[in-house]
Amino acid sequence: MIEATQPSNSPPVVTKMINPAALELYRQELQSRQDPDAPVVIVCCGTGCQAAGSVEVVDKFKEVLTGTGWSGKVVPMIKPTGCHGFCSRGPLVIIQPQDLFYQRVTVDDVEDIVNKTILNNEVIKKLQYKPANSKEVIPKAGDIPYYAKQTRLVLKNIGKVDPTEINDSILHGSYSALAKALTRMTPEQVIDEVANSKLRGRGGAGFPTGLKWESCAKQEGTRFVICNADEGDPGAFMDRSLLEGDPHSVLEGMAICAYAVGSNRGYMYVRAEYPLAVKTLTSAIRQAEALGLLGENIMGTGFDFKVTISTGAGAFICGESSALMASLEGKVGRPRPKYIRSVEKGFRDSPSNLNNVETYANIPDIVNRGGDWYKSYGTERSAGTKVFALTGNVYNIGLVEVPMGISLMEIVYGIGGGVPNKRALKGVQTGGPSGGCIPIPHKIPDINVGYGKLAEAGSIMGSGGMIVMDEDTCMIEVSRYFVNFLVEESCGQCTPCREGLIRMREILNRITQGEGREGDVELLDEIGRFTNNFSLCGLGTSAANPVLSTIRYFREEYDAHIRDKKCPAGVCKPLFHYEIDPETCTGCGLCKSKCPVKAIAGEKKKTHVIDQSLCIKCMECYKNCKFRSVKIM
Amino acid sequence: MKVLNIVLNGKAVTAKAGQTILELARENGVFIPTLCDSPALEAAAMCRLCTVQVIEGKWPKFVTACNFPLRRDAEVVTDSPEVRHGRKLIIELLMARCPTSPELQRLAADYNCDLERFSPLNDDCVVCGLCTRACEAVTGRTLSLAGRGTAIHVDTAFQKASTFCIGCGACVQICPVKKIAMEDVDGERRIILHGKIASRVQLPKCTSCGKYFGPVIDLKQVMERMGEHLIPPPNAAVCPDCSRRNLALKLGKRYFEQYGVFEDEGQADAG
Repeated sequence: MIEATQPSNSPPVVTKMINPAALELYRQELQSRQDPDAPVVIVCCGTGCQAAGSVEVVDKFKEVLTGTGWSGKVVPMIKPTGCHGFCSRGPLVIIQPQDLFYQRVTVDDVEDIVNKTILNNEVIKKLQYKPANSKEVIPKAGDIPYYAKQTRLVLKNIGKVDPTEINDSILHGSYSALAKALTRMTPEQVIDEVANSKLRGRGGAGFPTGLKWESCAKQEGTRFVICNADEGDPGAFMDRSLLEGDPHSVLEGMAICAYAVGSNRGYMYVRAEYPLAVKTLTSAIRQAEALGLLGENIMGTGFDFKVTISTGAGAFICGESSALMASLEGKVGRPRPKYIRSVEKGFRDSPSNLNNVETYANIPDIVNRGGDWYKSYGTERSAGTKVFALTGNVYNIGLVEVPMGISLMEIVYGIGGGVPNKRALKGVQTGGPSGGCIPIPHKIPDINVGYGKLAEAGSIMGSGGMIVMDEDTCMIEVSRYFVNFLVEESCGQCTPCREGLIRMREILNRITQGEGREGDVELLDEIGRFTNNFSLCGLGTSAANPVLSTIRYFREEYDAHIRDKKCPAGVCKPLFHYEIDPETCTGCGLCKSKCPVKAIAGEKKKTHVIDQSLCIKCMECYKNCKFRSVKIM
Repeated sequence: MKVLNIVLNGKAVTAKAGQTILELARENGVFIPTLCDSPALEAAAMCRLCTVQVIEGKWPKFVTACNFPLRRDAEVVTDSPEVRHGRKLIIELLMARCPTSPELQRLAADYNCDLERFSPLNDDCVVCGLCTRACEAVTGRTLSLAGRGTAIHVDTAFQKASTFCIGCGACVQICPVKKIAMEDVDGERRIILHGKIASRVQLPKCTSCGKYFGPVIDLKQVMERMGEHLIPPPNAAVCPDCSRRNLALKLGKRYFEQYGVFEDEGQADAG
């Protein structure tokens, strides 16, 4: 699909790193062959941009630049990279060294970019980025608020390195932390440094990573290092982006962990729905092994660490650690009913250290720059940064990395660019199906994003899904969506999760259909608390969170559905109708022309009327009215 | 062995380290209801009916008594209002699935269940998993839990009548709601699950009386498990009744014929 383009100077020939110092020499050698002023065309080839056609753009660049049409001095390097995170604007192209940012580039734009920008240093206006509500273009990638307001530590290499080419990663410092750990640190020192950094598990529960490693290292016998890359939350893609964009940081983190806990066998459990991640990882492992950076006798130190990739089969529950290990063993992916931690008895009944992709990716920098440096970001109890997948009713959809403790309003407005279509913000859902809805800015003015604060507000950090919801979002429909998801994805073995979810779905279904009964909210609350207390695994004990948090903050919306038979947000079709407000309607006729069933009548410049018997409530008139005269009744 | 001091429902008792709460409760005469527990099988903690509260540190937490190993001094409450309320919900939810089970009905009465709250689900299985675990222990592969989420159910591989079944009937015997049936018809033994034939096992015909008896068991698996020294005798051709009768005849002939008090009825084949 994508092939790494060879730099103008081919890399030095090496067989294997015989000692850790050789890695640094090799990096310097690579560095000396780089020309900082040479033009580089960076094309985002994350899954989102690939879907939008970035592979074709790369091919076209190659064709134009290597073909006869090229008349410049230095042939620019074409670098396909991992996901830049700004997925709503893809395919993205960045021209270095000017740092010019082009968005939504198509194959037809390529010749223009080459002829104008690369050859004549001339910018192409129509491809430049213009923020929402602004007429000024922002030419440089580094100045775009979406990037400028982030703190990219884990994502620092993504969008800069070619994930298919290990030399590029080494040039950016990959494996230097592993070299440092292997030569200058004992396993205990590595664990101390990680503990000192106060890094907490990025998979969602936030267990202190240093503590986990320490208890794994204490165990006897064969130990395993496992990476949980079974990212299943709807709309979340932090792990995929890391695996596709900077696989070596994750592999290096795993290798350092293996050294610290005394293991030499690693497994990476990637969901099968991520074919590009599996492909990138496979090639990354092969390249690292060829250079002696993974596998046997790493960098001549006598330390072995072999990583194997295992793919899941599409079960959300396999992201739960004990279900993941069962699946890895070839058994049915169901959580294990045992009160014993996997660091004591996990995969194949051996001590196993399982961490999330993002957790491992944080390790190299912690080892290189120290735990003190890491905890200088974030807050006292939630140190460092966290990657979020920002999505929903917000201008800038994509991946954002921010320091912990940042205000949620800043994420939505500062980085996300606010809510489009002049709608008001209603809340933010964090933590995926196990999380909850935070009602900013009305019921809670703002919240600092951290493990503790989110839990206090009835939600969780989770793996980092963040769905922004505007005033047109029905909270009952939101919880119904998540409960529906979990009904399908629960393993079904324990009674509270299985039966509780069926009943919650049943009740939410009838509320959204206008058949809600008095007492339904109390029953939902009762079942929800019971499910959270009595279930077997982490999925079950958080399954009711979306329901419980919407009841806590949006009780009046439940009451409107049940008592008044009204859906105030205009989502549940049996519970509302549209009417045109004669006061504000200007008779522009836009709604009439947009209506697919011709239910709107009215003369130009006179108030229009909706024929309720014809209306199918498709929202077209409501969305399109520039005067907001179409009202939800 | 380390001895732990446990406060069980306010009473000080001692427990062995590693003992489960359920074992301790039974030793001390405290009743904890269970559906999916069997002394013959490893705990699966699926029905969650045995949930109790345990305080090891500061906060009470909900754990299942059947598999929670006591490892340090703790306080255990087996019947708090929260626990009773949760159990009541479990029973109500399971009664909606399987209203005819006498065991569930008894529990429903004990816990004052409101059986009108949840609409019936028309399912005859409470998905406790006992049959599948018993089957795993005996044959290893006839019955298993298939499907995910709400679609989870007990089934045979590919929903076909299984050929691995040895007709032992362990699943029938262990089912707490008695929803698996076994019948011997037309020379075969059938296990009936959800009204469907889950397995057919051929029955041998007695060469002596002509009746069908016992299942024909494929001994290969048994031999693998038992090792060479414990190879059972080859399949019998005569039913146990005839076998006993024939032996009696043989002995009678040998010892009593000389006295002229014994008449041979003409049964020659010995079992």
